[in-house]
Amino acid sequence: MKNQANPWLTGNLFVLALGMLPAAILIGALLYFTAWAFAFSFTDLALVGKKSVEWSWVGLENFERLFTRRGFLESLWTTVIFVFFSAIVGQSVLGFLLAATLRGTQSTIRSVVEVCIMLGWLLPDIVAAFLWSATTSQTGLINQLIVVPLGFPPINFINSYALLVVTIANIWKGTAWSYLLFSAALDSVSREVVEAAKVDGATPFQRIWLVQLPIIRPHIATNMLFITIWTFTYFPLIFAMTGGGPGRQTETLAVFLYNQSFSRGNLGFGSAISVAMLLIVGVLSLFYLRLLREPK
Amino acid sequence: MLKRGFLTTVAAVSLMAAAALPAKAEISIMYMESFGSLIESGIAKFEAETGEKVNAIKLPGQGYDQRIALDLSAGTAADVNLIDSFMVSELASAGYLLPLDEQLAGWDQYQYYLPGLLEVASYQDQVYALPTDTDVRMLWYDLSNFEKAGIPTPWEPKNWADILDAAQKLKDAGVQYPFQLPAGTKQAEAATMQGVYMALLGADVPEGDRNRLLKRDTNQWIGDSPALRRTFELYHQVYSEKELNPADLNYATDIGAAVRAALANDQLGILASGSWEDACLWDCNNPPSREERDAQVGWTPWPGSGEPGTKATTNISGGWTIGVNTNASDKDLAFKLVTTIFDEANFKAWTLANHRMAVRTDISESPEYTADPFLAKATALAADTTGRDTIPGYQTVSALIQQATSDLVDGVSVDEVVQTYHDALVDEFGEEKVITYE
Repeated sequence: MKNQANPWLTGNLFVLALGMLPAAILIGALLYFTAWAFAFSFTDLALVGKKSVEWSWVGLENFERLFTRRGFLESLWTTVIFVFFSAIVGQSVLGFLLAATLRGTQSTIRSVVEVCIMLGWLLPDIVAAFLWSATTSQTGLINQLIVVPLGFPPINFINSYALLVVTIANIWKGTAWSYLLFSAALDSVSREVVEAAKVDGATPFQRIWLVQLPIIRPHIATNMLFITIWTFTYFPLIFAMTGGGPGRQTETLAVFLYNQSFSRGNLGFGSAISVAMLLIVGVLSLFYLRLLREPK
Repeated sequence: MLKRGFLTTVAAVSLMAAAALPAKAEISIMYMESFGSLIESGIAKFEAETGEKVNAIKLPGQGYDQRIALDLSAGTAADVNLIDSFMVSELASAGYLLPLDEQLAGWDQYQYYLPGLLEVASYQDQVYALPTDTDVRMLWYDLSNFEKAGIPTPWEPKNWADILDAAQKLKDAGVQYPFQLPAGTKQAEAATMQGVYMALLGADVPEGDRNRLLKRDTNQWIGDSPALRRTFELYHQVYSEKELNPADLNYATDIGAAVRAALANDQLGILASGSWEDACLWDCNNPPSREERDAQVGWTPWPGSGEPGTKATTNISGGWTIGVNTNASDKDLAFKLVTTIFDEANFKAWTLANHRMAVRTDISESPEYTADPFLAKATALAADTTGRDTIPGYQTVSALIQQATSDLVDGVSVDEVVQTYHDALVDEFGEEKVITYE
């Protein structure tokens, strides 16, 4: 039976298949890479040398080593701290506060601030890394302009506070996204609702907390979902700034994965790390997706 | 009929023309920026001689080793590649590099290469790459900061205690980086070679390879030994217990640039590095005059630990090579590019201008080379040198050593670092391939 609304399309299987092809290829490629990582996480595949061609199955050994060897749990903890402070607390809260404050301001001030926020976002990661390294070095801008004039000896920030520095750098880099999203979300809250709350005697804080926030709840969840996923797997800025160091102080899971896979050359173990990361991000995503649902 | 024949002919001719096109495809080469002056002049000459276009892929030193390994294993590498010599056997064992013996036999300049250095670039008795240079390792020091700290120069430390003592004086005199001892994963091979191995060789007696990472007669990796513990203890002293050096230079965005900046800003005390620094401390491809360099820095051989029976000074040599990808589209052309780069006129000029240690007798025995005071002194150091344990697996072991130094920077105890290193070796190679020395 032919669909009356679109008889030509549904009647022609060839055209249908052709239309589906790009999507099928994309899904196939995504599944292929995931399946590849999953399969090789049970092997001792190496990047170079004999084991790169003559690998063998090693069962759950790689996964056991995630917990019995130094590295994975430490990196997981570093990643949790990095994601929590730079993405959830930093980018999200700062982005929201900026969006909320700038709503009522003049368009010129708003434009200037917006351009400044966007600059961080638009700058390539490697350039940003050089910039932050130079700014926080012993002879850098922060020491020259703030620390030394106040009478303190210059501080070697990367040496003493590496995780803090990369966290701040990432907040600077990523706040634009949260700001833009919240800005658009707040614009969608109708003025009448806010005005009505004002008439009913709600304080500014209550208007945000009890009126606007519940309305934009789905946006908050979406934002959290995105920034958690990409901060969790974020690599270039940290790697270029510190390479995971000093020691292991900024070795997030992405840097750990890189070191194990490409420096140590153990692709099997590296695959196990990526599978573990996939599971963790998957669980977090499910949590956020639940938040997205309307309350009953 | 005639029309059909004509069409067939046209189709056949077009096909042949299309098939002939790939033969004219350009040839590619990947190299590190610090070798620019050697390779780029070779490329220019090659292009002029053959009329071919060379696709030159120039990269920074940071992460270069990983990039080469990854590109070759993924099948996306250039036709000709600059490769750190220690990786050659490993890459050859995986079948990524082209054995060159057959083509080398027909090249008149091949006879001049030093056999010992070709061995480093060989695997199972076949040569897979040609060396560009070799090196020796030493301790460089900043003359003005030594004066500031009241340490007499020329500085001649006799053991590790002397080094730590000097570093303490430099620290007390306010020098920012008293003893830059390469550590950590971002330093990559530099942490293993310029740091750990130079100390390790002088940390215990040479008998039975007690002062190495590998017991070479049985090809077993040494997972725990007095030499390893003493070397790790040295790192522990420098980075943790006595805090003789901030760790941040080892993790800079561009380590080489950060070290050069530290020297330029008078922040460097002692730097554990190699002979290439005679140019690279300023600019690998364009160093300042001899007088300028001598006025700023001096160097001394690495002393042994001072433990009874250990070596008085230590040294280990590495170097770089150029090899051909197994999947090179035109292998003869690729080889031609290699020999053009290594052609005497080009190669000799670079070796002399950059103060590299020669790998060929026609260059090392030339009057210009023997007259150079730095090269003469460095070559004397090379009389007692050794090479890396470049059997397949070395790259992994080296990465584990780098990880160990990272943990030492973090203040992890020597016992725990040795245990972690030992366990990781067993994970990678199995119990029977790992031994311990009491």
